[in-house]
Amino acid sequence: MTTTVAKPSRVTWVRRNLFRTPLDGILTIVFGSLGLYVIFRGVLFVASGFVNGRWQIIDDNLKLLMVGLWPVQNLIRIGVSVAVLALWAGVIGGVIAGRQKRRGTSSIEGLTAMQRASDLTRRFGLVTATLLLLLSLTDTAGPWIMVLSAFVAGVIGRVIGGWIGVRFLPIWVSRLFTVVMVAVPIGVFLYLTSPWLPDPLPAARSSEPSAWPLAEWEGFMFNLTSAAAGIVLSFPIGLLLALGRRSKLRLLQGISIVYIEFVRGAPLYVLLLMANVSLEFFVPEALAPSRVVRAIVTFTLFTAAYIAEIVRGGLQSVPVGQEEAGKALGLTPTKQMRLIVLPQALRNVIPAQIGQFISLFKDTTLAGLALGILDLLAGATAITQQPDFRGQGLIIEALVFVGFLFWVGSFTMSRESQRLEKKLGVGTR
Amino acid sequence: MSDTSPSVFADATEGVGDSIIELDHVDKFFGSFQALSDINLRIGRQEVVVVIGPSGSGKSTMIRCINRLEEHDNGRIVVDGIELSADVKNIQEIRRETGMVFQQFNLFPHLTVLDNITLAPKQVRRMPKKEAEEWGMDLLTQVKIPEQAKKYPGQLSGGQQQRVAIARSLAMKPKVMLFDEPTSALDPEMIGEVLDTMKDLAKGGMTMIVVTHEMGFAREVADRVVFMADGQIVEVGTPQHFFESPDEDRTKLFLSQIL
Repeated sequence: MTTTVAKPSRVTWVRRNLFRTPLDGILTIVFGSLGLYVIFRGVLFVASGFVNGRWQIIDDNLKLLMVGLWPVQNLIRIGVSVAVLALWAGVIGGVIAGRQKRRGTSSIEGLTAMQRASDLTRRFGLVTATLLLLLSLTDTAGPWIMVLSAFVAGVIGRVIGGWIGVRFLPIWVSRLFTVVMVAVPIGVFLYLTSPWLPDPLPAARSSEPSAWPLAEWEGFMFNLTSAAAGIVLSFPIGLLLALGRRSKLRLLQGISIVYIEFVRGAPLYVLLLMANVSLEFFVPEALAPSRVVRAIVTFTLFTAAYIAEIVRGGLQSVPVGQEEAGKALGLTPTKQMRLIVLPQALRNVIPAQIGQFISLFKDTTLAGLALGILDLLAGATAITQQPDFRGQGLIIEALVFVGFLFWVGSFTMSRESQRLEKKLGVGTR
Repeated sequence: MSDTSPSVFADATEGVGDSIIELDHVDKFFGSFQALSDINLRIGRQEVVVVIGPSGSGKSTMIRCINRLEEHDNGRIVVDGIELSADVKNIQEIRRETGMVFQQFNLFPHLTVLDNITLAPKQVRRMPKKEAEEWGMDLLTQVKIPEQAKKYPGQLSGGQQQRVAIARSLAMKPKVMLFDEPTSALDPEMIGEVLDTMKDLAKGGMTMIVVTHEMGFAREVADRVVFMADGQIVEVGTPQHFFESPDEDRTKLFLSQIL
């Protein structure tokens, strides 16, 4: 005999969940109407944006917003760099996927082509759509060529990486590989900033500046590169600070605590302003670094203090028995930390770490106001004062554009972090 | 178990043959609380000693002092001729000679079962990867779960996890194994498999100190039983002597409570 539980009708569901008591009823009505109003205005805002939005201002200034005053004849260097970085990222992604395949921990192994496609769409769909949107605003072929070649390079890199990843490499080969992988972004940076490297196309050699020093990096490129540099540099410093704070050496512990508490106690904006004006007290003018470098250093030192506290929380979350097991096996304190405690600690705090990095990415916009760098936000504000657009109240369109780009970046980071969490969670309870 | 069948020793704190572990007048304080007072014990090579006693009696603290997970305050602890002192080199050397199995297993959750076992041989003994993995598989076969090698600890049952933990300790080829309530965190139906593994180990001639509440194991496998209460060793004797005709009232009371 089978009994079936009758599915409650919609009316019953509404009564149970929304109008159980008089108070529930009032809350439902109040928040329901408030919610409907907000949704209505929101839809209206977006719809009017599509219908009435004057996006010409973005169209006209796209290059300025993206790369600032980077010389047009020299944009080819960015194109080449982006393609190389795409190849690089593809190789890394491929190697990781290959390793997982070899170890049997792959999350994409065994998916059908359709599932694989939907997985890829979920990961890269938003970024791709955004890129296409930006490309549709351009009127030269350069950006299209850049994105297409980057795409091709990325796919090639993924294939090469996958091929390397499933193979067992001798230790010296894998060390060499690591060195090359670290060297690539540094090489790209030097190529972008150093005039003594040759231009790829003869035509691009025609006029004066053959490279663009870091001090002049502006637009969204500044936000992206300074955030990336801040993330990469702040992590090791934060890690050392966290270990320092837990150290038994009182001096080291004291320095770490003072540093962390001092930096966390000051608003980032204040630190950026101080980096702008008070550095001259300590460094002769000729030696003082450029505004962009000051911004990156400030971001790094600021974020490091937060990372330190996040990592410390992670270290505390690892049960003391783990360290004891390491001790009992005769591992040295360094190896107990490096091989047992730290991997677990860092995995436990991935969401908090990525949250901090997302924060940093968005906070790079503070550098515009504090240091006078023409970053994406400063650029978007400035263009509303151009003769063509002045007095037309175009700030909303500009801000929506800026907000959208940052949202795409932050959301992608957030989702990749969830993916990473899930992947590293293999085998834990 | 030793080749010479154990008897009641003239001085019951003396082990069989030459001793591998010596504790002389060992005291241990946690703040003002004295966890161990005047512990004297010698453990012979290939001897199996079971330590029992009510909770809080200092059993775990005693064996944790032997590999310096706890630092003793007074007295002398010598393991295989090496005296435990503040010298880090001595501590490392003693830890290489002693394996420890914990109540909560303490397996490394981020490593596979095989990696858990091969980590220390590779890192501490500098064994090549391939050799370490073969050795690891041998050990997993010994504890009868070679098919679990590629899994993560979280995917195993409690009994399997504890057997992996035993294999992990054995991977360092220790001369002494310390067991700190190895079956206390297990579901009843899994206790047997872990005890069987420990019995195999005892038959193979391993020197073992086992803190446990498993009286059956003590009766069957132990060469000597040590009874502790309030941080002191109350009585030491063969299982037969201990369970059938204990001398001390404190021992009789404890046995009447648990048997």
